[in-house]
Amino acid sequence: MPNDYLLTVISNIGMISLIALSAYLLLISGEISFGQQAYFGISAYAGAIATTLWGWPLWLALLFGSSLAALAAGFVGLLTLRISGLYFSIATLAFAEMVRLSLFKLTYQIEIDGELIGPNGAEGFGEIRWIFDNDVSVLEYTLLIYGILLLVLFFLVLIERSRLGMIFRMLGQDPLLTRVQGLNPVRYKVTAAILAGFIAGLGGTLYAHSFTYIEPQIFNMMLGVHALAYGLIGGLGTVLGPLIGVAIDIGFLESVRVIQGYRMVVFGGLVALMLIFMPRGIFDEKRVYWLKSIARRWFRA
Amino acid sequence: MTDFLQNCIDGVMFGSGYALLALGFTLVFGVMKRLNLSFGPSIMLGAYAGTWVYLNFSQNALLIVLVTVITTVAVGIYVERLCFWAVRRDAAIASMVSSFAIWMQLEEVAMHLLPERTYPFPTFFTSTVIDIGPFFVRSEHISMFLLTLVLLALLHLFLFRTRPGLALRAVSDNPLASTYMGINSSNIFFLAFAVVSVLGGLAGFLILSADSQVTPFFGLWATFKGLIAMMLGGMGSLTGAILGGLLLGVVEANAFWYGGPLIRDISAYLLLFIMLIVRPGGLVGQRIVTQQQAAYERV
Repeated sequence: MPNDYLLTVISNIGMISLIALSAYLLLISGEISFGQQAYFGISAYAGAIATTLWGWPLWLALLFGSSLAALAAGFVGLLTLRISGLYFSIATLAFAEMVRLSLFKLTYQIEIDGELIGPNGAEGFGEIRWIFDNDVSVLEYTLLIYGILLLVLFFLVLIERSRLGMIFRMLGQDPLLTRVQGLNPVRYKVTAAILAGFIAGLGGTLYAHSFTYIEPQIFNMMLGVHALAYGLIGGLGTVLGPLIGVAIDIGFLESVRVIQGYRMVVFGGLVALMLIFMPRGIFDEKRVYWLKSIARRWFRA
Repeated sequence: MTDFLQNCIDGVMFGSGYALLALGFTLVFGVMKRLNLSFGPSIMLGAYAGTWVYLNFSQNALLIVLVTVITTVAVGIYVERLCFWAVRRDAAIASMVSSFAIWMQLEEVAMHLLPERTYPFPTFFTSTVIDIGPFFVRSEHISMFLLTLVLLALLHLFLFRTRPGLALRAVSDNPLASTYMGINSSNIFFLAFAVVSVLGGLAGFLILSADSQVTPFFGLWATFKGLIAMMLGGMGSLTGAILGGLLLGVVEANAFWYGGPLIRDISAYLLLFIMLIVRPGGLVGQRIVTQQQAAYERV
């Protein structure tokens, strides 16, 4: 029986991977979002409200939270259609900070068992007790997280192999080319934003139920820059890139004692160096292609 | 109505500080066409060094200003070499992301330097309230406003009356042509960062001195106020930075009066978000902001 601390770290990796994947999806379609934490946060609050205050089952809350996040992402995607590059990044950052500050104003409490429960501005939202009420062990919940993560990965691999994935990458490399091909970049940009919002949303609701307490401060820029950096470190050539980035950060940096307390110094420096020497991460398109060709030769021999 | 006008006066006073921060952003953007998100945190690190000297060694105002400015410049140069000089010339976005990551790094360094939440920052302004008709103004805000004007004049002199300033404007206008004229653009980028860091260090000192305290949130605050002010005005434009700073100050002062601190902060982000959507080029900027968009218009 693995201990609970280790399981918490493992489940943490799974949930953070979801937001990293959402940033990755936007990265390959050519937009750098500093604001994926907004959708993570929206879904965390919405999902937790659904189970705790309205008594919904978790699967429905997951769907509800993520759909709401996707809706918000689609809305922002539509509004920011005209801008790209750093204008887009700053606009998403502004939106995310707006969401975070608005959560400070969010008070919605219902009396349950003689106690007022629900989000209460800066005091946060505690007592998200779905796990305890339904007797779900840490192990079971971790398995649930990884089940969902695998589903998302499977879905993303499908997308990457389809025409849609091709269009996303083309949009990332050369938006004008997309237009010349007779494709409407507007449609694909919004599609990418909605999908990314949904994936971040899945992570958000799972996060709220795993930690049983959330507050607006969690969904700050620190989370956003991490989500973005994972893909940039791990590589943009494969869907596994962001996961490798998460594993490097949480699995490696968090466990090395020497750099305790200096984690951001190391991590920030790592990101800066990666951007100089490997601008598209460890497993970028070229290396993935190279690895694939090696694997192919290996199997033929 | 009196309230509104009073808010506008306060807003202009605060806005002059924002304008100084925005000038830092706009100079770097104008010359390099890149965004330095680490600007605020580098000022914060400078201010922390200044506070550290204030707490441990000396209360000499001049020394503290010097330490603040020199540290800010040192950090600015570190950021320039790591995030701008070393990153490929055409990768403007990579520089922005890189400076964003370095931001987090600088913030943690600052936390280790001074681990408490709040530190006193030396105040060199005497605080009195001056009445002008039905309105009143705090004297330290007037001094800040006047010093801002002096700094603006100095910056103007540097940019328009000296050879390095001319070179800086040349690189900003047309990098290729300025290279043909024998200007080493790498040196000019370095110079721009140094000038901006001096400006930032002084701005940070003025603002914190008026507040008489420094907190770990100052980096975030400075980056955002400067960024919002610059983007409101128009990226890369000096007039735009000043206009944007004043506009932001006035909007914030009114939002604070009618809604409180949280509404003030939300209104600043909302203003930025709306501006980016409606008019990405800012108040005085161009309507079309990127070549790509220009290409879209033709297709």
